[in-house]
Amino acid sequence: MTTQPVKSRLPGLLLLAAVLVLLALMPLMVNNYWLRIATGALMWAGLACSWNILGGYAGYINFGHSAFFGLGAYVTAFLMNDPFGLPFLVTVPAGMLVTAVFAVIIGAPTLRLRGAYFAIATWAFAEVLIQFASAMDFTGGIGGIGLPPYLNERFFYFAMLGAAALTYLLTWLLFERSRFGLKVKALRDHEPAAEAMGINTALVKLQTFVLSAVTASVFGAIFAYWVTFINPKSVFGGDITDQMVVMVLLGGLGSLWGPAIGGVALFVVNRLMWMYWGDTAFYIALLGAAIVLVVLFLPNGIAGLFSGRRSNALEKAAGKLVGRVDEGERP
Amino acid sequence: MDLFLQTLLNGLLIGGVIATFTIAFQLTFGVLHVIDFAVGGWVVLGGYLGYYMAAGLGVDGFLAIPAAFFLFGAIGYLIGPILYNVRNSRTARPELMALALTFGLFTLLRGGMLTAWGFNTRNVPTALSGESLALGPVTVPMIRVAAAVFAIVIAGGLFLFLYRTRYGLAIRATAENRQNAALMGVNIRRLSANVYGLYAGITAMAGVLMGAVYSVNPEIGLRYTLFAFFVAVLAGLGSVGGALVAALLLGVIEAYVSTYVGSSYSLLAIFATLFLVLLISPKGILRRGL
Repeated sequence: MTTQPVKSRLPGLLLLAAVLVLLALMPLMVNNYWLRIATGALMWAGLACSWNILGGYAGYINFGHSAFFGLGAYVTAFLMNDPFGLPFLVTVPAGMLVTAVFAVIIGAPTLRLRGAYFAIATWAFAEVLIQFASAMDFTGGIGGIGLPPYLNERFFYFAMLGAAALTYLLTWLLFERSRFGLKVKALRDHEPAAEAMGINTALVKLQTFVLSAVTASVFGAIFAYWVTFINPKSVFGGDITDQMVVMVLLGGLGSLWGPAIGGVALFVVNRLMWMYWGDTAFYIALLGAAIVLVVLFLPNGIAGLFSGRRSNALEKAAGKLVGRVDEGERP
Repeated sequence: MDLFLQTLLNGLLIGGVIATFTIAFQLTFGVLHVIDFAVGGWVVLGGYLGYYMAAGLGVDGFLAIPAAFFLFGAIGYLIGPILYNVRNSRTARPELMALALTFGLFTLLRGGMLTAWGFNTRNVPTALSGESLALGPVTVPMIRVAAAVFAIVIAGGLFLFLYRTRYGLAIRATAENRQNAALMGVNIRRLSANVYGLYAGITAMAGVLMGAVYSVNPEIGLRYTLFAFFVAVLAGLGSVGGALVAALLLGVIEAYVSTYVGSSYSLLAIFATLFLVLLISPKGILRRGL
């Protein structure tokens, strides 16, 4: 579909192969402590990509993405515990299913409206899930819920690696190499125009939203099994969404590799700060400052720095065009 | 029956205070086309100003109200143009970027307050704290009545300003149609800065009142942001008149759920209402939203 010369793609492919080999050999090279940090970095890279699926490609900001991360975590925790005692391989798809149902219920009415309403609804949804999980008995209330411990760092590393790799592969196939991706980008750039072209925007948006939610739930499930103990704040908390938003904005909204760059960079900074400082409140302030600075000075993120002049000029021209159409359109 | 009436009155009084900042919130959306996530941050900052003025200077908490207006009005006046620039920039998705900016601002305020003041809750002490007023069968805390009176004065002043002055006319014209207002000679950029300043000041004043009635801590800001959103959805984004009705309704719903079901369910009830409204009447119950 794109007419990029094959030559220019080779260095990128080599780099990707090198990174994959490095990631696959990681457990042989580092001790358990750093393996845990690598596992966390993979999780955040995957979560950032999951947020970017809707936020970057469809242009709908989800301020309650932690809701789906937490749903995946809680379903796995609930089903692996005593009355059910199901194996992990069964609870992950169950979590995906529950998440998909919730995503349809939340998304179907709100995605038809302006993006602002959607941002409000998702954000409120996550806040309500915190309250709900804190008030109910079957979720363990505010104290949280434990999972059967499984102390195998390599298993969790490869689980996160597999989930992250699949998320990126899926994103690349669906949004960079298919008609579906073009539809999503078209509605992001100008929804009425996309609708006029015969795109069922409501359906496409809902599909994108469900995909984004379901991928987040997989990471939630692995996370819960990995840390063996979750409570409402630790999986539904707004800080989780905050981190995802910053990672994507920092890396580059709507780019494939931006979330990976932003996710890994920010997670490593977070761990280093925690190691040498042990302060979490100041980290929240730093996150906020990072969002503000990126919006003001680096709207295309780190990935935007590498994408070259041509695509930047194209983007600007498209922005101008959209702006003009919008001005004529407003009542 | 007494409890029922008392709850209703309590709800209406708190709803009045919520109305002050949600009206300003709606006005800001109308003029700037930006949903301000930071609204809860301004509320909490106002409450802290009240606490520190009372604890540090030994003055009555209510004296912090004008101070909050001028201090946070000035800060808002400085932030307004930045928000306007981002919202009207030529990047691909200015609406999204502006939303992200206020989200970042909110996170920055929350993290900064947590770092500076910790997780402790603070109450704004006033001369009326602890007293109560008996109205026939019901008794309400004096502080709530006073807060509601201040809220009526603030909201009344805002409405007088909007509907009885030339500048208020310019603001309403801009909210209604930006292009036409600009053609009539309104400087949209400067007006946006002024409106954001006015909004931040009013919200901080409401924060002093909230800090006197309840208490504030850095984490409570989320709750007030949710209140503002609830009112915005119920009234329809940008509808100023609807905000008054919706805020009173919110106060009453919250009071009844807290009294009869339990305060941990109040957010759940608020969200359920919000979701139903989005489902049935997406442009707000008065169908006046943008």
